[in-house]
Amino acid sequence: MAEPLLSIDNLRAGWGEAMVLDGISLTLAEGQALALLGRNGAGKTTLIAALMGVARHRAGVIRLGGTALERLPSERRAALGLGWVPQERNVFRSLTVEENLTAVARPGRWDLAAVYALFPRLRERRANLGGALSGGEQQMLALARALMLNPRLLLLDEPLEGLAPVIVEDLLAAIRRLVRDEGMAAIIVEQHAHQVLPIADHAVILDRGSIIHRGAAPALLAQPDLLSRHLGLQHH
Amino acid sequence: MMDDFFFSLLLAGISVGAVYALIALGLNLTFWTTKTMNFGQGSLMMLCAMLTVFLSSQGLAMALAVIGSLLVVAAFGVFIERWTVRPALQASGGSMGWVVSTLGFGIFLQGVAAKYFGSQAVAFPDVVFTAQDFVTVFGQYVSLQYLVVLAVAVALILALELFVRKTVWGQAVHAVSLDPELALVQGIPVRLLVLGSFMLSSALAGVAGVLIAQIGGTVDPAFGFDLVLLGFVAAVLGGMGSSMGALAGGLLVGILSKLVGGYVSTAAEHGIAFALLMLALALRPQGLFGRPEVSKA
Ligand SMILES: Nc1ncnc2c1ncn2[C@@H]1O[C@H](COP(=O)(O)OP(=O)(O)OP(=O)(O)O)[C@@H](O)[C@H]1O
Ligand SMILES: [Mg+2]
Repeated sequence: MAEPLLSIDNLRAGWGEAMVLDGISLTLAEGQALALLGRNGAGKTTLIAALMGVARHRAGVIRLGGTALERLPSERRAALGLGWVPQERNVFRSLTVEENLTAVARPGRWDLAAVYALFPRLRERRANLGGALSGGEQQMLALARALMLNPRLLLLDEPLEGLAPVIVEDLLAAIRRLVRDEGMAAIIVEQHAHQVLPIADHAVILDRGSIIHRGAAPALLAQPDLLSRHLGLQHH
Repeated sequence: MMDDFFFSLLLAGISVGAVYALIALGLNLTFWTTKTMNFGQGSLMMLCAMLTVFLSSQGLAMALAVIGSLLVVAAFGVFIERWTVRPALQASGGSMGWVVSTLGFGIFLQGVAAKYFGSQAVAFPDVVFTAQDFVTVFGQYVSLQYLVVLAVAVALILALELFVRKTVWGQAVHAVSLDPELALVQGIPVRLLVLGSFMLSSALAGVAGVLIAQIGGTVDPAFGFDLVLLGFVAAVLGGMGSSMGALAGGLLVGILSKLVGGYVSTAAEHGIAFALLMLALALRPQGLFGRPEVSKA
């Protein structure tokens, strides 16, 4: 069998002395999208931060395309193909939109023209400062910037959180296009399973630092009882 | 007709002011990438000028002597980043340790230079023009050395400003100065930029040292110590991190100190800069060109 794009084996990680992730194992193949679900404080952001080398790694192996990441600094992990859209504080506020994009660009299929085609709004606002954008536009910018890295795997941490419904539609459409049509591999963190499960291949539910459910995304979508048990009331 | 004495002071002030601006720019450069400043810059100015004297006395062409000295000084930048600034930033608690460690390294260099070159002032050779070369502008004598110093300083300031504004590397530096953690996880080679900023900052100090030595005509081991403080005053006056501010602050400090030196007393020449600093901190702490911090939230 071919090497998976990402493989995580028995990962233990946290912040300072606190241990948050308690032995996480999972794999993701090229071109697949994984929905990472779980309640507030379940450890979703910590898992992403551990992949990026921001959270404190305690034990376990993380491989991207066969390369062990645990000992590499964050900038190397980004260079090797992890495109992270952090949950908060994710644009350079006093760079313009275009500077935000070109400052991190790496050669590949995703260049200015390609990300502007995906987000025409960003092209309109290219000369505006990052800090002057609306919340939704900042989220688009953060996603576009991650694409400019030409990553092998996108890491989206609650990209839809706190956005107006119309913007949610736009962003979700862009993400769907990326993972369904462009074959971009992604881990998408969400609290609202109904928004992300329809575009994902696989799903994982985290609770208190452990995986309590894993399976195909469509199958999980068809089990509302399981969803409400593990994630609480779901808004549509 | 402008008063000759006033005019000569003004020109001298503008020329040294442009060099202070260069020093301020060097301080800004590492401030952008690490929020630290290399207060050992004064000794790097001295070292570069001393080395230039030494190398040219060994028969090396002046241009080669200057370039060789600049390379050595830039290499010192690497050392300073690695062994004085980084450990201070990593030490738990004391985040201001770099002030003492960079200054301390400067004092150490000064001591080493005094040991090997002697503590006497040595004559600095003429690079392009001699102190006697001049042109006349509106009936005023204008020293060509001053003009060259001014031209070199201004050209470097403009080049750096262009680099920072127009190149991807400049944008990356800007990104690091805004949010180093975000820059890191976006794959910007932060360590490389930090290293580069220290090398370039040291090289700028070296250029400033050669230019000032050219104007003054001599170098000694203590040379540079006051100058880096004047550069610091220029940087704060103009607004920490702002290139236009560095230029304005440098010119202000240069002109004012030369006028005070000419009309009041040369002893007060450098002191006035600090009076200016205190005044500025009281009246406009963000500096002439400083913008209030953009919040990250
Ligand atoms: N940067 C950090 N520094 C210290 N502790 C953190 C940090 N980020 C998260 N934690 C802690 O780690 C634990 C897991 O939080 P985490 O942010 O990973 O949850 P999450 O699933 O992303 O939650 P949410 O849905 O609210 O974003 C919590 O106890 C939290 O306080
Ligand atoms: Mg989170």
